Amino acid sequence: MKQIESSLGKLKLASCVTVASGTFGLEYLKLKDADGKPLLPQESLGAYVSKTITYEAKAGNPSPRLYETECGLLNSIGLQNPGLKGFLNNDLPILKETLRIPLIVSFSGSSIDEFCEMITTMEPYDEIAGYEVNVSCPNVEKEGIAFGADPEVIYKLVSRLAVLTDKELNVKLSPNVTDIAQMALAAQEAGASSLALINTLWGMAIDWKTGKAMLSKKVGGYSGRGVKPVALALVYKVAQVAKIPILAMGGIHSWQDALEFIYAGASAVAVGTANFTAPGAPAKIAQGLHEYCKANNLYIRDLIAKVK
Amino acid sequence: MITKDSLKVLDVSSPAPQYVCLKLDAGKPLQGLLPGMFYELRAPSQKGRLFKPISILEVEESTLSFLIKVVGAGTQAFTQLKAGDRVEAIGPLGNGFPGIAGRRVLLVSGGAGYPPLAWIKRKSDVAGFCLHLHGCASADEAFPCDLLYTDDGSLGSKGLVTDSVDCLIAEHNIDLVFSCGPVPMLAKLTELCMQIEHYVSMEAYMACGIGVCHGCAIPVDKAFKLVCKDGPVFDATQIRWSEL
Repeated sequence: MKQIESSLGKLKLASCVTVASGTFGLEYLKLKDADGKPLLPQESLGAYVSKTITYEAKAGNPSPRLYETECGLLNSIGLQNPGLKGFLNNDLPILKETLRIPLIVSFSGSSIDEFCEMITTMEPYDEIAGYEVNVSCPNVEKEGIAFGADPEVIYKLVSRLAVLTDKELNVKLSPNVTDIAQMALAAQEAGASSLALINTLWGMAIDWKTGKAMLSKKVGGYSGRGVKPVALALVYKVAQVAKIPILAMGGIHSWQDALEFIYAGASAVAVGTANFTAPGAPAKIAQGLHEYCKANNLYIRDLIAKVK
Repeated sequence: MITKDSLKVLDVSSPAPQYVCLKLDAGKPLQGLLPGMFYELRAPSQKGRLFKPISILEVEESTLSFLIKVVGAGTQAFTQLKAGDRVEAIGPLGNGFPGIAGRRVLLVSGGAGYPPLAWIKRKSDVAGFCLHLHGCASADEAFPCDLLYTDDGSLGSKGLVTDSVDCLIAEHNIDLVFSCGPVPMLAKLTELCMQIEHYVSMEAYMACGIGVCHGCAIPVDKAFKLVCKDGPVFDATQIRWSEL
């Protein structure tokens, strides 16, 4: 599938289609179709991005944590995860054994020192090809967006991390800021080798009959179809100023959606909420892109940021 | 093995207002399925929306039956199906209730929680003693069971399904309780059955159904557990009911 090859900073991607952290797991690679064949052959993915881990295990937020709206999904999971140790001891060996594609580990800390300790601990594991620094989760108090809304903090954090790793260092940005381009430039100047955007938008739903918020935390993160135009505009905006590659996500459900993000400035795309509404979607998207590019003698890498 | 498949609709019926019963052809004999297990189902008109987690009502060779309460657009869409249509299905999912061989079991269902317990009851003539209590709002929601309770007294006994549980446990030497229904009913039942082994099948809003999204977590023991993967059947005493 030469047509859809791409790269993300230091990583060569055999496919420009990846998955968004928190919306994908090995469970999807195990799903079978009616004939007993894998619904999603992992080779259709350029990389596997794992669910964000934090230093300590996190129980996550109370239920309800999900609510589906007319054109997207609200969530308030709260980064439930087994913590760094639990991940390294229990999850990483299985990922190592299963994956034949690059593994990008998404992680978040509650202080700059904690981020540094996490990356230092993970650095010796060769099966980790890169990191996604999650400074944009809207559903936790200490980690996540607490770091991602101030360019000076992003700069301080990423510059400390950049000297601790030779692997791909991707910084995932939040759309819930006044100027995402400033955050992107801060990450770039600090030594990030690529960017990921967008994390979820703030979102909310209320039962008008009872007045009760649909999520236990009332406000959560909004993803899915409804966010695509917003994500596309932000990817475009960042691509206009940033020199490092962009991994784009935000409502991608089809290969046509993916292609729009490539034109807007993405080097690769990640499928998120569509994993839930259309299990196997990343494989179909990769296949669709491949067929389109082949039929028209196009290469994804030639189309990046070529919006007219 | 969890499969995503498109299953042919064999029959659609409405055994009660607000309920639809679907019979689907799995295309091959189904083995190893347990009451409490579920499928993520979606009618074709709902493409692009989340699947709905639906507990199995019964399995006969290659036929899967579901009894679904209509609560929103996703479940409403099942009522529009006709024989010959197809339904997208991911499954089988979840852990299911434990075996009942040689046990004396009280089955307690409320409202839409009926299906897994009805399936156990139907299988019970070969497995052990089961007494099935079902509680619902009115005669409109009544389904076959041993003892029926309605809120309005329109059929069966007027009152809650939990009202006579104490006496029935003693009278029938019950040593195992299975339940499924609204949270207040399950919490009350847990209080009443503290001395007896008691398993509940829980319901939750789900995005993936297979353990990826962590959206269906409920407070169990000292953590949050996933209804889709760790459940839906849990030891009732492990659930922190006051937080639900």
